[in-house]
Amino acid sequence: MKTRLPVLVAFISGALMIIAFFGRGSMVDAASETALTWQSIVGGFALLLGAVSIVRVHWQKISTRHEDRFYSACLLVCFVVMGGSGVVFGIGGGTLFDGLFQRIQAPMMSTMFSVLAFFIASAAYRAFRARSVSSAILLVAAMVVMLGRIPMGQYIYHGLPAWADWIMTVPSMAVQRGILIGAALGAASMSLRIILGVERTYLGRG
Amino acid sequence: MSELRPAQPVPRAPFWQRLQAVDRRILYSLIFASVIIPVVWPLHLPTPVTPESRAFFNAVDSLPSGSVVLFPFDFWPSTLPETEPMAVAGLRHCFRKNLRVVGLSNVGMGGPSIADRLLDSIGAEFHKSYGVDYVNLGYKANYSAVLLGMGSKIADIFPADHRGTRLEDIPLMRQVPNYDSVKFVLIISDNAMTDYWVALVNARFGLPMVAGVTAIMAPKMLSYIHSHQLIGLLGGMKGAAEYEQLIGHADKASLGMDAQSLIHFLIISFIILGNAGHFMMRRQQARAGQV
Repeated sequence: MKTRLPVLVAFISGALMIIAFFGRGSMVDAASETALTWQSIVGGFALLLGAVSIVRVHWQKISTRHEDRFYSACLLVCFVVMGGSGVVFGIGGGTLFDGLFQRIQAPMMSTMFSVLAFFIASAAYRAFRARSVSSAILLVAAMVVMLGRIPMGQYIYHGLPAWADWIMTVPSMAVQRGILIGAALGAASMSLRIILGVERTYLGRG
Repeated sequence: MSELRPAQPVPRAPFWQRLQAVDRRILYSLIFASVIIPVVWPLHLPTPVTPESRAFFNAVDSLPSGSVVLFPFDFWPSTLPETEPMAVAGLRHCFRKNLRVVGLSNVGMGGPSIADRLLDSIGAEFHKSYGVDYVNLGYKANYSAVLLGMGSKIADIFPADHRGTRLEDIPLMRQVPNYDSVKFVLIISDNAMTDYWVALVNARFGLPMVAGVTAIMAPKMLSYIHSHQLIGLLGGMKGAAEYEQLIGHADKASLGMDAQSLIHFLIISFIILGNAGHFMMRRQQARAGQV
């Protein structure tokens, strides 16, 4: 029963969503609407589960005096302050939560991302080497696209933007499409395996 | 007591070898200068408009006044330099055309706050009222349930907006029960949410959509343009600068393109210099019989 019930739930939910995707009818619509509302509620609980898990993991690090306990303490303080301010004062514009987010969190995240430019530049200088024919092709293609995508590129050579567009829309897209189709086929087959009960690893056993 | 001898001069490493070991602080300083100089002294380089960006502009521009546009702010604060100019230009275009904007976010961390800030500030520029001309639904967990569920009834997924007002008390939302009342979707995203909007909303409900994405995502999104699942596309800061140019309001992206031009140019110079050094070293080693 412990296995059959979840497999049955997965089958009914999956089959219902497939039918709802391809066909419309009042009964199907109502059933899929209910299933989606449930899914949204379950998603909310999954978030709660994640929050509880993160608190447990970091609390354990602090209580066992792990070498990273100060980072864990910092995380928990931030977690309580952000979460608490949102719960107590709300999350709309002008609230404490919004202020903390707009003035501390957003600039910190943007800064972390901006620092990447320095690492990319350093890595480009030290590691991006034409050691073989394929890496030389990659290198030349990257240079053409980088130059073709900036206003300065057309001043260097007027045909560069067209070359960059060709690389993006022909060889690059061919690869992207291959990846997309492969990923979609993989996702479809995995979903089918779960709906039909062949794949049961999500139950915690093989 | 050892005899003191004059120190032997250490032979200087060859030029190409020294070039391989340039202090990274020099590289970082050059990058820093390339960002700062165009901000202080803008170069005003013209950005040629790509067909995808023009299609994006035309799609929004052709919407009749009063149409409802769904505007997902699906990006994290980390990519704000790329995504915010797109969102700002998109909102300016929508409000100028008197389109009504329904904002939402599938990114829990920050999305709704960014949406609130941008909707309020750009809304104020065009004297638009919250609840009548625009609304921010906020964030709900589980994107697939959100995207599909809104097709049946938005109020089931978002019973209240980001400020806690019930949807039935918001004049705009009383006229938008589900996707049937939405004319268009304008996605700004830095993650896989664009794929889900295409796969779940365009494919099932047939809603036309355009997307503004980070530069790194643009090549993948081009395949949706060719399959006509996306009408238009803005790729990275360049796409945002093109859109700013098209709506006739140059802003942060246009300013940032000068810096991006210099940075790209500098990185390419680094690659060429690094490779030149590498080849010259190998050549010298081959001559010396070390390879």
